[in-house]
Amino acid sequence: MAVVVPTTGPAPAPSPSRALRLRTVPGRIRAGAGVAILAVGLLSALMGVALAHAGDGLQAIGHTAGPQVVATADLYFALSDMDAQVATVLLAGEEGRPGRQAALNRYDQRRAQADSAVLQAADLARGDPTGQMTVRAVLDGLGRYERLASRALLLDEQAPHAAGPPSQPALEVYRQATDLMRLDLLPKAYNLTLDSGTVVRHAYAAESSAVLAGRFWVALGGALVLAVLVALQVFLTRRFRRAINPALLAATVVVGVLTVAGILVLQRASDELRTAKEDGFDSVLVLSRARAIGNSLHGDESRYLLDPQRADTYEQVYLDKSQSVLYVPGGNLDKYYAAVDQSVAAFPGKADFLGFYGSEADRVTLPGQREALAKVLTRYQQFQRDDRQMRQFATTGKNGDAVRQAMGTSFGAYDAALVELTAQRRQAFDAAVAAGDRALDGWNLLLPGAALAAALLILVGVRPRLAEYR
Amino acid sequence: MVALTGRGRSRRVTALALLGAVALLSTACGVGSSVLDRDLLVIGVKPDQPGLGMKQAEGEFAGFDVDVATYIAGKLGKNARFVATPSSEREKVLMDGSVDLVVATYSITPERKTKVAFGGPYYVAHQDTLVRASESAVAGVRDLKGRKLCQVTGSNSWRRVKEERKIAVELVQAASYSECLADLKAGKVDAVSTDDLILAGFATADLKIVNAPFTDERYGVGIQAGDLDGCEAVNKAITEMYLDGTAKKLLQKWFGKSGLALTFTVPQFEGCG
Repeated sequence: MAVVVPTTGPAPAPSPSRALRLRTVPGRIRAGAGVAILAVGLLSALMGVALAHAGDGLQAIGHTAGPQVVATADLYFALSDMDAQVATVLLAGEEGRPGRQAALNRYDQRRAQADSAVLQAADLARGDPTGQMTVRAVLDGLGRYERLASRALLLDEQAPHAAGPPSQPALEVYRQATDLMRLDLLPKAYNLTLDSGTVVRHAYAAESSAVLAGRFWVALGGALVLAVLVALQVFLTRRFRRAINPALLAATVVVGVLTVAGILVLQRASDELRTAKEDGFDSVLVLSRARAIGNSLHGDESRYLLDPQRADTYEQVYLDKSQSVLYVPGGNLDKYYAAVDQSVAAFPGKADFLGFYGSEADRVTLPGQREALAKVLTRYQQFQRDDRQMRQFATTGKNGDAVRQAMGTSFGAYDAALVELTAQRRQAFDAAVAAGDRALDGWNLLLPGAALAAALLILVGVRPRLAEYR
Repeated sequence: MVALTGRGRSRRVTALALLGAVALLSTACGVGSSVLDRDLLVIGVKPDQPGLGMKQAEGEFAGFDVDVATYIAGKLGKNARFVATPSSEREKVLMDGSVDLVVATYSITPERKTKVAFGGPYYVAHQDTLVRASESAVAGVRDLKGRKLCQVTGSNSWRRVKEERKIAVELVQAASYSECLADLKAGKVDAVSTDDLILAGFATADLKIVNAPFTDERYGVGIQAGDLDGCEAVNKAITEMYLDGTAKKLLQKWFGKSGLALTFTVPQFEGCG
């Protein structure tokens, strides 16, 4: 009974009648059974809380905040592609007429995408006044951007030109538009994604540590119930000189199985939560950022050709962004191209680069992922080679060639490979979330059912012994 | 039924007790070391950069960086103590923990990010060119061809002109930017080229900034690597600094008179994770 005494603390309060009851054998049996049932209740409460945390974590990362964050990452992409399409139309000139409508259609499509992403961002920013103000500022800015962009396009239509820079008035309005986009809207959109990533990180950290702590408490609670049941069993066997009490034994088995299964399911849920977060979500977010930045990289090529006066700035911005996507040392573009060639050739044997792809190369966890990443890198290298060619055309006065080169297929090919790699990660994410959900499935019935069964078995076990005293 | 109600009550009680225990447990092992745990923040700033971080005669620091750092510390609910941090020691003091934040024209670069983390940037400065106010033939960095450019020992800014852009400038050595300024006024050099905020700090009526930026220098808030909570709090503070108009006020206070084209919208953050 030594084990039982401390836990009976709250039950047998120092009321004289209870103390009296404990002195008689049936009183002790009743107290023992009561303590055992209370302990079962405690265990099921502990397990219920831990399972609820696991469920909340999976819900946040897998079904609500997680996918919303990925959607806000698309906001940046949609916005930067809107600006890139405007640049494409302005740059294409007369000979680019056929492509004009396609670019305008794509612009509208991105606009719709941006709208729905803003809605997601607004939803995520509930309860965060700073985030809400940022969302509102993005909406306002988007309206202004659209007005400027359509004016630039209108002015461009009024002054037909060959492939290359548009008329001065069109260019001046476009400058205002692109400055608004690049210096005001895109940073805000990017920061929103980072902010909402924070929401997910906090949810993950809180829930996963709660699940792990819960696992510990469940183990402790299970051990406690088992100890109580064994003590009760021993007491009954000795006192009544009987063989093992089968109902109590069954209750012990039920509790033991429940505890072990609970620990295992919590472990499983926490593993899947971690997989979903680290192998899925984090990577998807990094790759979405890489895609968004990569897209504005392509826009910077058009802008470089579009606005010769600002060509130096756009070239520098292009280099800076390239380095955030795939960083290799190189103070200027020529050195960067060479370093990219070297590093990509060395991959996958060696990953001596940083940036978004550096962090992706650091956590190769899925089958086929290294190959998919290698493909992205090769296509990125090709895109950079074409960029070099484009700049050579531009600096030697071959404007038409430069424009055709900038509108070539290498960017599309690179982007497609990146989308493929992201889809792989996305699949891992979805699979982990589904596995976690499956692991938790049914526990809302199983747990109370098992606890109730154990309690009933305890009652059934002690009932005949109590009957002997009637 | 008795057993059931008893269980219901005990469930509530244990759930509460458990929540308490979990809260204790997660604060005890969840957070390593964050600037958010300190009462007083030690912030590294420049002692010798006019307009950004400058040590005053009374030992106080003043400048845009100092005001930004004060604002961030305030938003974090902390007191700030400023220390002079030379450029060469910025990573070291963050890594050994003797300084909590570095706000000292500290450009975010991938190499530095392997050692420390960055909140912000709180401003994106651009390399620009400073010339005499009477100069009318320099509209951009390319117009420096054949002219004399000040080369400060230990600074890389001249490389961006001569090596990266391959502009044929004639380099004239100087020990510091202050010396460059004197040379520019005296006509010994034709131009000084470096971060526009640094130029703006030096600008006087007889000098002008060309306003033809050609690089992005993202000034970040250096913080110990791994302090995600601290870094995110810094980012939030910077977002608020721009939303509530403080950033605009501070930029105008320190650089408004220089004629520099300033940006008053929040920069694109680097991201903490």
